[in-house]
Amino acid sequence: MQADTLRYLTSRLVTTALIVFGAMLLLFTLSSIVPGDPTAVLLGPQASPEFSKRFISEMGLDQPIHIRMWRFFSNVLRGDLGTDVVSGRSVLGMILNVIPYTLVLTFSAITLAVVTGIPLGIFAATHRGTVADNILAFVSVAFIAVPGFVVAIFLLLIFAIWLNWLPVLGTSQSGTLLDEFRRMILPTLALALGWIGFIARLVRTSMLEVMGENYIRTSRAYGLSERLITYKYALKNACIPTITILGLGIGRLLGGAVLIEIVFARPGLGRLIYGAISERNYPVVQGAVLVVVVVFVLVNLIVDLSYSAIDPRIRHNTGSAGAVG
Amino acid sequence: MANKFSRRDMLATGAGLAGAGAIGFPMVAHAQATGGQRQTINVRAAAEFDVIDPAFRRGPTDGNVMRVVYQRLMSPKPNSSELELDAASEIKQTSPTTIDFKLKPGLMFTDGFGEMTAEDVKFSFERIGLPPKEGAKESTYKADWLHLVGVEVKGKYEGRITLAQPRANIFDVVIADGSGCIVSKKAVEQRGAEFGFKPVGSGQYQVASFDKQKGAVLRRNPAYKGTRKGNFEEINVRVITDSKTADLALRAGEIDFAVLAPAAAEPLRNIAGLTVSDQPSIAYVWMGMNMEKGPLADLRVRQAIRLGVDVDQMLLAGYNGKVPRLNTALPPQIMGHWKEAPAYKRNVAEAKSLLAAAGVSNLKLKLTVLNQPEYQNMALVARALLAEIGVTIEVDAQPGGTYWSSGKGDAGKNLELYMARFNAKHDPNFVLQWFTPGQLGNWNWSRWNSSEFDGMFKSSDSETDPAKRRQIVMDMQKAMDKTSAYVWLTNEASALVHRSWLKPASVPGWADWQYADFSAG
Repeated sequence: MQADTLRYLTSRLVTTALIVFGAMLLLFTLSSIVPGDPTAVLLGPQASPEFSKRFISEMGLDQPIHIRMWRFFSNVLRGDLGTDVVSGRSVLGMILNVIPYTLVLTFSAITLAVVTGIPLGIFAATHRGTVADNILAFVSVAFIAVPGFVVAIFLLLIFAIWLNWLPVLGTSQSGTLLDEFRRMILPTLALALGWIGFIARLVRTSMLEVMGENYIRTSRAYGLSERLITYKYALKNACIPTITILGLGIGRLLGGAVLIEIVFARPGLGRLIYGAISERNYPVVQGAVLVVVVVFVLVNLIVDLSYSAIDPRIRHNTGSAGAVG
Repeated sequence: MANKFSRRDMLATGAGLAGAGAIGFPMVAHAQATGGQRQTINVRAAAEFDVIDPAFRRGPTDGNVMRVVYQRLMSPKPNSSELELDAASEIKQTSPTTIDFKLKPGLMFTDGFGEMTAEDVKFSFERIGLPPKEGAKESTYKADWLHLVGVEVKGKYEGRITLAQPRANIFDVVIADGSGCIVSKKAVEQRGAEFGFKPVGSGQYQVASFDKQKGAVLRRNPAYKGTRKGNFEEINVRVITDSKTADLALRAGEIDFAVLAPAAAEPLRNIAGLTVSDQPSIAYVWMGMNMEKGPLADLRVRQAIRLGVDVDQMLLAGYNGKVPRLNTALPPQIMGHWKEAPAYKRNVAEAKSLLAAAGVSNLKLKLTVLNQPEYQNMALVARALLAEIGVTIEVDAQPGGTYWSSGKGDAGKNLELYMARFNAKHDPNFVLQWFTPGQLGNWNWSRWNSSEFDGMFKSSDSETDPAKRRQIVMDMQKAMDKTSAYVWLTNEASALVHRSWLKPASVPGWADWQYADFSAG
């Protein structure tokens, strides 16, 4: 590994730690500002005032923010994300229970978006100004504009009710692989459609920009085939903004696919966080948000590091933020 | 550009359709199955699971599974609130404060935890009703076992429950309900917090798999010794929080039973193979006023507000008019319901004159509601109607976490108008307990501090003569009516949607499901 890359990696890891700390500080601050008594929601009507008080103490909500954060991070360093005060289960266990569903959905949606969006973007760029380009532009913007949960309902009506091809519920009780696969199709599609439109537009724009570069003109002058120029030389560079967006997208989908999870009655991290916030179940919120933040930051670190693999001209420099040429 | 459909395209399309067909085929076959062939049913749970532990359960989703996993000394008969013996072979009230019981021998706990004994009964009841032992957590249902002194073990199968003072509702609300579920002492001690999702009972079903967000698979317990063995080998309880998804899953044949709001069930009424029936609920909804807050402390102002709204119009907006109107706290299904309670009609002139007599003009009030469509819609109608009598309403729709604490503690002193919905049980004291002075700063959001009401509440709690108790309960409702602090709205209704071959079973009130008594045919 080159010294500058190593320096870059170290600085990014430090930044990652600071981002995680900052995000958690924000979360702890917000949780102390948000109105609402957790005991009213979590303990139900019969809880005695003494029990409510003890419960608040168990959640650490009677402590100042800096103490709560200190306890939280020192527990995290020991691999303990806390305990769900309702069920007594470890928060880590609850997260590990749902995270496979989230990861599978996120990565299948992003993969589908990439394998569909990039070719569509290339096609639109290479057929600029044609009817097909205009239609693609219209469809892409429509995909971006329509919220995922609306798409989900339409997909369910078409494929589950009218055609009766696919199931409504997004997860299987039987647990067989084939059944799980069938149940994945519609949630993946619902989540991916917006990203397909987005990636297609982004790739088109990047491709058009790259296709106007001198090195592409030179390649043409050398008599290289248009196919080779498009796919080997232009696409590689045009993909860099898309990769950046994908990094952000993966992070966003980790905790943000909640509406799709609700519509398809599918377990997931988004639902876990949403439910915990609604109930003011702070130990679960803190643990789950920490996982989302860490994964988000790590994915984006990997994305940044992948730039140099795609374009060897890019080298990392600790003297400036991100990737520099 | 010419369109060409090549041989390769055709093969690809054919393969795609064949694949889709193959994937989709089991779905169609599943949807077409009829009751006679079914060993498994799929039912909807509208909320996520928490724990299947009687001491720490949180809602109906947990409770409905608990009722088939555990046995109780007594339990309600199918589709009835009448009780019959369950784990007990005998149960007898030997004095106003003592109940003797004898267990049926040979009741076996699942997972090899042995036979149920009186020691398990003692442990089950005392872990809820008595102060927790060192390090243990207090049960969130402690109040169910109010006045419990203890359970004395008199033999392997025999015991005595002792109360500090008589309780009229001890059988219906406690012994035969969730807090009367009998757990294996050994299993609770051995499994600790895991017990909540790996429960050990002796009921008709055992939990084969459990997932907070996905649901639970209940499999018939071969060791169950009782007469109500359950009519299906397996019951899949699927968590589907969104009612539209439940609607689609019912249409697609993926679930066989769901409870929906009547308006949400409307599109399903004409679907072949599905039966929809509306059933009145026992949950009660009202608009309340804080009797200590500013002008609302004046009875005439509260009377004016009660006369200024039109309950029927509010119900039309909130529930499409598909729910019964409620005129008193207790719904008709509950003992002591005040049948002759006045159904107040809107009277703008009288409302205005009451406000004028109270010397109130340009009154501005905040109406706090939960941010759900039915309450928000009703609040908007109330705002429009009250504007006509000169009262300006600001509707404050809050999310659950904030809303449920808005009437508590010091925040509750600033509450003005609110709309609330409470779940009920088939016992008047359970319904009315939230309006006592002891609940000030907690759930008595109208801040009604009546020692007379409190006295009647205590009398009713210990009165074992049904006729006398009924009269006390009626008097309590009349006292509430006199305050004018409560505009009763509805006891709601539930639409039961199920396959036409499936017969659901429930304790009246349509919230406590008896899955083991669901049957085909």
